[in-house]
Amino acid sequence: MTSQAHLGQPPRLAGWFIHRFTAHENAESIFGDLLEEYSYLASKSGVTFARRWYWRQTVKTIAHLFGSSYRAAPWSTTAAAVGGFLLHKFVSGLPDKLLSAVTDRYLAFWSTHFNAYIWVLKAMMPAHLVASLFVGCVIALAVKGREMVATITLALVLCALIGSAMVWVATRSPLGIVWMLGSFADPFAIVVGGAIVRTRRSAAITLAKHG
Amino acid sequence: MPSRDYLGEFEHIVVLALMRLADRAYGVTVRQEIEFRTKREVSIGAIYATLDRLESKGFVKSHLGDPTPERGGRSKRFFHVTAKGVAAVTRTQRAFQSMSEGLDLGFMRSYS
Repeated sequence: MTSQAHLGQPPRLAGWFIHRFTAHENAESIFGDLLEEYSYLASKSGVTFARRWYWRQTVKTIAHLFGSSYRAAPWSTTAAAVGGFLLHKFVSGLPDKLLSAVTDRYLAFWSTHFNAYIWVLKAMMPAHLVASLFVGCVIALAVKGREMVATITLALVLCALIGSAMVWVATRSPLGIVWMLGSFADPFAIVVGGAIVRTRRSAAITLAKHG
Repeated sequence: MPSRDYLGEFEHIVVLALMRLADRAYGVTVRQEIEFRTKREVSIGAIYATLDRLESKGFVKSHLGDPTPERGGRSKRFFHVTAKGVAAVTRTQRAFQSMSEGLDLGFMRSYS
């Protein structure tokens, strides 16, 4: 029999993605099933084929788990996404309000230290990302077990709004590709926030289970 | 009769696979059985999402087997159909039979 070490391990990143969407009670059997079939395919058709199969399974599995998780609790997931949208609207405006307040108060200082002002402006983008990350974490904390579904739902809504706005703007003036990609950083940060909470919860459950 | 007493298309296929496999029914064998018989690629996520739904409706039950080395020390989760599940399959089969009775499906296929 071919050893697991010889066949190589399944893609770790794929496993990480599946883990973010799998209920803890199903995780052991799903990963065991995938590893069993991966080992069989790797010994029969080669590691490359098996890895490709694993990735295909990952994408389809995530799509199904996302759908079934949403259908299991559509109202609470939607409520979390709506709440997250309102929170995002409030929190994402805070860095700009803070900048305006500081600028108005220390106008004389900024006029003599213009470079510092430029740096503060550059810090706005990371500040927005931190705000979005915070929103993602808050939503994920509110919906135990459906962290990724709730944050991805909100991210998709934001992406749809950003995309629509971009189409509207693009019809009037040309858009830069970097600016376009940068606009999707906030939804991405929200999903990352959800993934962080999910990862920490999974680690806590595993720790509690194995002492 | 409540709609939840009937099985959806994929639920029906999964329950029939469990009945075919009897005590060998777990994620891998169920997935392979469905792929082999229906010739359509099925993800392990679809199988577990459906089995979880069927378990919550009381149509199937599951138990964990012993951990095995080829699965990296992870256990298999075996499934079996309950009496309520068998009744649901029977009801759904009857509904299909009743709906297709008198239809010349071979004739229709030649025009599809």
